[in-house]
Amino acid sequence: MKLGFLDWVLETFGLKKPIRLGIYGSVNVGKTTLANKIALDWTGEEIGKVSSVPHETRYVQKKEKIKIKHKGRNITINLLDMPGLATKVDYRDFLKYGIKRKEAKERAKEATQGVIEAIKWLNNVDTVLAVMDATKDPLTQVNATLLGNLEAKKIPVIIVINKMDLKNAKPENIKEVFSQYPTVEISALTGYNMDKLYEAISKYARR
Amino acid sequence: MKKLKLDFVSSTVLSEKDPDKRINFILSKVKDGSILVIDGVLKPEEEMNLIRETMRRVDDGFPGIEVCSLKKTGKFLDKFIEGIKDQTENIQRMLGTLTGNQSITTHMRTGITFIGPAKVIKKIKKNPDSFSVLAEV
Repeated sequence: MKLGFLDWVLETFGLKKPIRLGIYGSVNVGKTTLANKIALDWTGEEIGKVSSVPHETRYVQKKEKIKIKHKGRNITINLLDMPGLATKVDYRDFLKYGIKRKEAKERAKEATQGVIEAIKWLNNVDTVLAVMDATKDPLTQVNATLLGNLEAKKIPVIIVINKMDLKNAKPENIKEVFSQYPTVEISALTGYNMDKLYEAISKYARR
Repeated sequence: MKKLKLDFVSSTVLSEKDPDKRINFILSKVKDGSILVIDGVLKPEEEMNLIRETMRRVDDGFPGIEVCSLKKTGKFLDKFIEGIKDQTENIQRMLGTLTGNQSITTHMRTGITFIGPAKVIKKIKKNPDSFSVLAEV
């Protein structure tokens, strides 16, 4: 995206409104790990708790006014870590992780509310990082629905292919299926290729 | 022996309903245990509304849905016609807002949609041009 003179002046002097950058994706693709990495890199503080139990993030987590600098461009973002999107939430799935029935039911209830909240926020984000797990099949209804909605709303999207540190990562599957979108292969856990992600954010993110 | 009920629904039936009633029709059937096969595809906004409404209805006996849709990969002319239909609906919606008539019907996209209760549908494997379903009764 070409930067106009006025945009350059506003960005340089920090007068531009922050870009609301939403992190979306299915459950357990590493959204909060990525949000933590971005927040840690630019503010020194993390944003939320990470867990292998599905639906750990059940509320939208925010970190405001993060300043990202890349190749002379200064962008200020409000980072929004969304609960994972899903078409089903079964409290029985949480029992496998040693969570008691009552707590599992409460967690499931909160998880459904989290999905609803994440969907509502689609009307209030400027740019989206659509996170996908490099080891999983990307042809899911959640991914198709998310990208279809972003396209309909004309919201810029960067596909973030996460978990590249895992041996069975197959980023080519995602790139082939979603070839029309900008993609970046990263590992939010190890920090692999985060500079490439910041480059993509500075190139495609806009209000 | 447990039974599985499959309902094949014409997109004409759904196109006659306004978007909210359409979602309600689908979810009522699926929550009752039916598997729906529709010869049409919801718009992305409707698919998202379907997910949102599903979440509102999740309870101990209904953990949600499994859904898969295949859109017809449109040629230029198909896309052009879809675009005209969309614009017509937008105008109808605008006029509806002005006149207070909110019951605007919208057409479905060409394709196929499969929706079933997550309790029964264990896995959907999707390919660009086909999908297979694994169900457990």
